[in-house]
Amino acid sequence: MLRSLYIEGNTPFHRLPVRVKLITLMTASIALFFVSSLQILVPTFVTTLCLYLALGLPWREAFGRIGWIAFAIAIVALATWYFNGLHEALALTFRLMALVLLAAAITATTTISAFMDEITVMLQPLERLGLMRAADVSLALGLVLRFVPEILDRYENIREAHRARGLPIRPLTLFVPLIILTLKDADTIAMAIDARGFRRQ
Amino acid sequence: MTTRDLVLIALFAAIIVFLGIIPPITLGFIPVPITAQSMGVMLAGCIIGAKRGALAYVLVILMMAIGLPVLSGGRGGLAILAGPTAGFIAGWVAGAYVTGLLAERLVNEAQSGMRQTAGFFIASLIGGIGVVYLFGNLWLAFVTGIGLEKAFVGSLAFIPGDLLKAGIATLAARAVLVGYPLLPQRA
Amino acid sequence: MAIQFTDSSVRFGQKTALHPLSLTLAERRIGIIGLNGSGKTTFARLINGLVKPTEGRVTVNGLDTVADDRAVLGEAGFIFQNPQHQLIMPIVREDIAFGLKNRGLTNAEIAAKTNAVLARFSVSHLAGRRVHELSGGETQLVAIASVVVTGPKILILDEPTNQLDLKNRRLVAATIDGLEQQVLVISHDLGLVDGFERVLLFHEGQLIADGQADDTIRRYHEVAGC
Repeated sequence: MLRSLYIEGNTPFHRLPVRVKLITLMTASIALFFVSSLQILVPTFVTTLCLYLALGLPWREAFGRIGWIAFAIAIVALATWYFNGLHEALALTFRLMALVLLAAAITATTTISAFMDEITVMLQPLERLGLMRAADVSLALGLVLRFVPEILDRYENIREAHRARGLPIRPLTLFVPLIILTLKDADTIAMAIDARGFRRQ
Repeated sequence: MTTRDLVLIALFAAIIVFLGIIPPITLGFIPVPITAQSMGVMLAGCIIGAKRGALAYVLVILMMAIGLPVLSGGRGGLAILAGPTAGFIAGWVAGAYVTGLLAERLVNEAQSGMRQTAGFFIASLIGGIGVVYLFGNLWLAFVTGIGLEKAFVGSLAFIPGDLLKAGIATLAARAVLVGYPLLPQRA
Repeated sequence: MAIQFTDSSVRFGQKTALHPLSLTLAERRIGIIGLNGSGKTTFARLINGLVKPTEGRVTVNGLDTVADDRAVLGEAGFIFQNPQHQLIMPIVREDIAFGLKNRGLTNAEIAAKTNAVLARFSVSHLAGRRVHELSGGETQLVAIASVVVTGPKILILDEPTNQLDLKNRRLVAATIDGLEQQVLVISHDLGLVDGFERVLLFHEGQLIADGQADDTIRRYHEVAGC
């Protein structure tokens, strides 16, 4: 459950520092919006496709991960074709697909902890301004990962209680007790965090 | 931000992730199953308020960005932020904030159940549907160049389902307000 | 070195949770008993500053729980009634390590301390397990380890044997027995506090008995009417 989309591997792209990958993506996403020449967009798309497919993902998985977005792009491209003509539609498709493939490649080659380290660095300026604490982000992230399975267990229990009492399973009667039970834990969890001295004020 | 606020944000983010993991739910009177996760924006704003609700979504999006499959159907990764629907993702944060802001203004514990329900419904409509669609379609229009109007027309098909979700979210938020009020204690 | 209450009382709104009391706790093993809602948890939470006295003051080894609240949290560790809530990171090893962060330790030092405390409570085999999948007894031991690793001189345990089977109860009792810290245990498990040097009985927000285990437990039976 909630397994990272990272794929074990040792390709050059795996070894590239996270910061370089993210800056590349950001630069590409800005730059490509100023380009509508297919002579540039098609080779860019082919390059990112090769990059993505060379990462060692099984084919099914590789297509499964981007299938939903590719579908959304296809719909949007059809609309663009209808309103703005074929060239615009093709440019949009190759531009967005190139970005999506590059982004998916970064996701597949970067571990959660590498991302977290980078986020902590990026948040340093905010921390220095006193707006937030970088350590809070990893604490919050840990809490989510810790409590999602707990909520799923509770959901199963509530469903069983419904069945035992012969009640039909409805979103309201499921979600309301679940949300209340989950949020009620907040007080004791917060107290425990303070008691263990995680957040030095 | 108090530790309690931090924990409430994380727990609500966990609830949003949970809503994406469970299979779609069928309602008694409508044959089409609905995905529960898209109710999260309205629930977050109405239950934990503007600031905490929006931050819960920031946390979910952060998790998505670093490669955790936190969206419904096991989706995740940076690719979603690079796609044409990225505006809706940004819209979740703004939508939860606006929903919360309106809920905080329109609903209080002293009101009758009817007024509370009406308040939550208005907040869910404006924040959870209006703001999310505005952000989503602005980005879509920018990416495609087809114009905002046409983008909006394209997304009309989703409106009936979202109205239904606003109704469910309203009832759920009101029931939580009765059982365990968090909205009045603003972050 | 001791825990000192000076005319300390606690009110939540109109309700008095704890009437004023003054006492000094210096014994190594102290039990706290009483009916539900008698004020024993409020009393225990005063000690590490989770609850602040409405009047009077509480000091822990010379540190005031209001003025030096951060230092007090480091001095007195608290193991909660539902230890599941206390373990807040997904994996056992991560959870214990997290308590050591922001203390100026290197990652290697944190790992070494984590391994040492897990070994100390004979739970090294749980290091890689998900917190959420631990059994009741395992959760309690990991919760104790997660607090002990930060080096408190006093440990307060709220109902540590609640919901444990006989075997795990004995294991947790033996673990508490082996702790080198000053230990305060809140419990309905009278057998657990029976051998303690001093046992306090709370009733309706008042300390009504304070002394040897036998005497206090006898008084508890009278109060409870059985």
